[in-house]
Amino acid sequence: MAFNLTRRKFLQTASLAAASIPLSKVVSASTGVTKSALDATGTAGDKTVVGGICEMCFWRCQLVGKVRDGRLIKLEGNPKSIDNGTAICARGGAGMKLLYDVDRLKYPMKNVGKRGAPKWKRISWKEALDECGSKLKSTVDQYGAHAICVFPHGASAKYPLRYFERVVGTQNVSESSFFQCRGIRDTAYVATINKAPGEKVDMANTKVLFFIGVHLGENIHISHVKQYIQGLQNGAKLIVADPRFSASAAKADIWVQIKPGTDTAYLLGIMNYLVKNDKYNKEFVEDYADGFDEFAEGIKEWTLEKAAKVCDIPAEQIKEVADMLAANAPNVAIHPGRFVSWHGNDFQRQRALACLTGILGAFYVKGGWVPAKMPRVKGVSWAWEDHDHDYDLNYDPEEDEKIYPYSPPGTPTDLIRDCAITGKPYPIKSCVVWGQNLIQTIPNQQKTKDLFKAMDFVMCVDVLPTDVTAWADILLPELSYLERYDQIKRGTQWDFSKEHQQYIAARMPLVAPMFERKDQVYICNEIAKRMGHEDKIPVKTIEELVDKSLASVDLSIKQLRAEDGIHIRPGKDPYVMPEDFEVRLYNEDIEDTGFPGVPTYIAVPDTPKGFARLLFGRTPVHTFNRSQNNVWLHNAMPDNPVWVNDEVAAKIGITDGDTVGFINSEGVESTTTTTVKVTAGIRKDCVYMYHGYGSTNPLMTTGVNAGVDAQSLITILAVDPETGAHGMRNNFVKLIKNGKVLDIPA
Amino acid sequence: MQYGMIIDLKRCVGCHACTIACRAEWEVPVPYQRDWVKRLGPTMTDYGMAATYYPGLCNHCDVTPCVSVCPVDAVERIFTDAKSGKTTTLKVTATWKDPFDGTVQVDKERCVGCGACADACPYGARFVNPAQADENSVGKVDKCTYCKPRVDQGLVPSCVLACITDARIFGDLDDPNSAVSQYVKNGAKGLEVKDGHLGPNTLYFGTKKDMALLFAEYTPKLADMDSVKRRAMMASMVKPAMRKVQEIGVLGLAGAMLVKGLSENDEK
Repeated sequence: MAFNLTRRKFLQTASLAAASIPLSKVVSASTGVTKSALDATGTAGDKTVVGGICEMCFWRCQLVGKVRDGRLIKLEGNPKSIDNGTAICARGGAGMKLLYDVDRLKYPMKNVGKRGAPKWKRISWKEALDECGSKLKSTVDQYGAHAICVFPHGASAKYPLRYFERVVGTQNVSESSFFQCRGIRDTAYVATINKAPGEKVDMANTKVLFFIGVHLGENIHISHVKQYIQGLQNGAKLIVADPRFSASAAKADIWVQIKPGTDTAYLLGIMNYLVKNDKYNKEFVEDYADGFDEFAEGIKEWTLEKAAKVCDIPAEQIKEVADMLAANAPNVAIHPGRFVSWHGNDFQRQRALACLTGILGAFYVKGGWVPAKMPRVKGVSWAWEDHDHDYDLNYDPEEDEKIYPYSPPGTPTDLIRDCAITGKPYPIKSCVVWGQNLIQTIPNQQKTKDLFKAMDFVMCVDVLPTDVTAWADILLPELSYLERYDQIKRGTQWDFSKEHQQYIAARMPLVAPMFERKDQVYICNEIAKRMGHEDKIPVKTIEELVDKSLASVDLSIKQLRAEDGIHIRPGKDPYVMPEDFEVRLYNEDIEDTGFPGVPTYIAVPDTPKGFARLLFGRTPVHTFNRSQNNVWLHNAMPDNPVWVNDEVAAKIGITDGDTVGFINSEGVESTTTTTVKVTAGIRKDCVYMYHGYGSTNPLMTTGVNAGVDAQSLITILAVDPETGAHGMRNNFVKLIKNGKVLDIPA
Repeated sequence: MQYGMIIDLKRCVGCHACTIACRAEWEVPVPYQRDWVKRLGPTMTDYGMAATYYPGLCNHCDVTPCVSVCPVDAVERIFTDAKSGKTTTLKVTATWKDPFDGTVQVDKERCVGCGACADACPYGARFVNPAQADENSVGKVDKCTYCKPRVDQGLVPSCVLACITDARIFGDLDDPNSAVSQYVKNGAKGLEVKDGHLGPNTLYFGTKKDMALLFAEYTPKLADMDSVKRRAMMASMVKPAMRKVQEIGVLGLAGAMLVKGLSENDEK
């Protein structure tokens, strides 16, 4: 370890560096011209530019930029922030490497090759917009608005999403943030407490933190992690159910090494024990819960022993957890999760989490589920227009009902994809991709590719040449979050035990745009003009959009800038139960749609012999695929080592650091390899890797072929029957080492 | 006064905010690093299953093998206490331990980039930064300075500023009332070398199992100083060769090739 720079290496470095001295430098040195300063100066003396709002992920921390000679040198948390403070995570700090990424899209491009194997030709904005406008318009004229499908993601996609939904009138919109991530959570909680839960648990002031699959530490959202660590510092107990010894499990008092997919059974076991032993919060249940008797009856089969057997954990540990929750109720934080589209039985699990919170009385109390009292800021966007809904793919005309009654907003992805591929029940002919890399967000990549092949026209708007952009006919370069104005970020102080405050901030550019990149309002408006909707355009510029929105709270861009980018005002006590609050433990409406009205465990498919279940999650240095091309972040974690149980590894003859590929149970092989991490900290029946690696687009010169793309191995589609959202952890893999496929021992 | 840093592993979530903030602040080129975060485990320890992090940086040690090995001629240098303005003069090479704040620093103008100090450091906290190459060197030694230029202005180190959970605490270990001293009282410990005493001033605090894992995996040994010294000697031989390049600068690449040849001869 001490000899990290060996003599040989030193000599190599010496000769390389000497060889790379440019002639001019050598000459000038010999003529005595002053050399440049050797050491970095640090940023203390640099100009501070306020108003940044991060979008390396979607938590949107508030930033300031350190700018030297017009160039952004460093990003820091805005010292005025009551959300993230001066803190900024690795991804946030590496934002400049996205801003100045040499691979970034610079000009509008036309694909003069094939979709999937593009040849790019630089074209003018006029030509690009004319093409997008005329192609989309001709789709609408020929087939109707529903023949356009839209895959948006991120802040910049909001404005165009509203345009296509409200003005053009297509319902065929699918957001990965809903259908491949958190939508199930939101609709399951709405069906239980009539509110989407967010991650609004008062972790900073709780007595027990209860995580199912939540892996804070690997999943980083700054103010959320601050709450979590503050809670632990205050002495809260932490319970983590995860097949893997996650970053959170490493800080836990109790690690529940649960069998993947059985989480609902686990929750039912806990709840039944609490009910049977009178350890639930009776007063709360009497006052606020609906359908307790049906609920108690419906879960009564879930003895500790039964749950223990299904979940493959000790009954005694389930009891220990239940008792810990009961002893500390109602001040317990039952985390609703964020990424929850796991196994196709997820709506019921999310309902169970909400019900567990309910029978512990942990709503609107210190340490429980507590939504912050947010400032209200009026959104400004396209006006709704009347459209007939005859083309709702999520509607079964024969039964006269929704196919997926608890679908999040938009249309379930596979309804759109299947319709596009088959042309049934109607043709979908144009595809608008705005900031969503759907090759890596949606399972079964072949089907996604088939969707593109079925299109008359595909347009993509992005900052980088992500994998999906290879399927575009027209590719438009967008401004990054550091170079544009954008919508409003609002919130409160992160610790509810502190003075109640609210903040309002708007994204403002930290540096001037470069090349021909444009913002979403410009691009969308220009397309709208060409589709005959000029009279419906709500704002001419993105600044106007932000200013109009800020005017609703008597603010303006100018004022916000004068206030260092963040407006702070007094807040309100969040620990106030709304009068009409109700927890529907049993929900008759769900039953009316043909699904269980009491949370119910639906068994997941067993792991086939010789395979391991493929689990995936987050790394703190990446936001899935979005940050893969970032040189600094890539360097921090260049691949996604696959976690393999140590006993399994010994049996199949692999060791830590080995290079492996994968083949899944449907015969799909990974196109790249990654390294092995041998650990006792994962069950024998599964393997785990970080999601988002393994980009295939060669134009992503840093991220291409780095690690393995978990999504490429997720080909079996599990669709949650209530919501239509994807479950992505019902796929099974074997490892391939040196060309040899290795069976995973049972 | 002795500046020190506490890494509170109970708070640390291994997110790399610190390493990126450092990279940005000091323009440290990839793949080099002034500080790092290594993920440890999950693995069984005597205290149960554990997984933690090794957020490492220069330890600004009490005993400094990196300083004593520097082959550059010692010259007088005036040191100023950022707090009191007091000055003192010491004879130092291109790297030294600051007499006022106890930090270990490098003079980039005098450093010849030989890397002997990097070899002498058992923590791997120093590297030769090729982005700082000049006519006399292939780069300059770079390392964590505890953000001295910031700290002297009353700012906190860049990594401390960025840390999302306040897991990094910076202050004066000689001040018994400082937050860092409180941590020491509570059991914060440095990664002292196995076979000697360096007195690291970057200290770790965590649960029994996390500390056990960290110390089991990252307690270093002293560097083999004989080899390090050979390296330092070699460096003083390479140095004139580099100067030759200047003299024959017009030859450009050919000159560079010549240096390559000279270096290889050295090795033989």
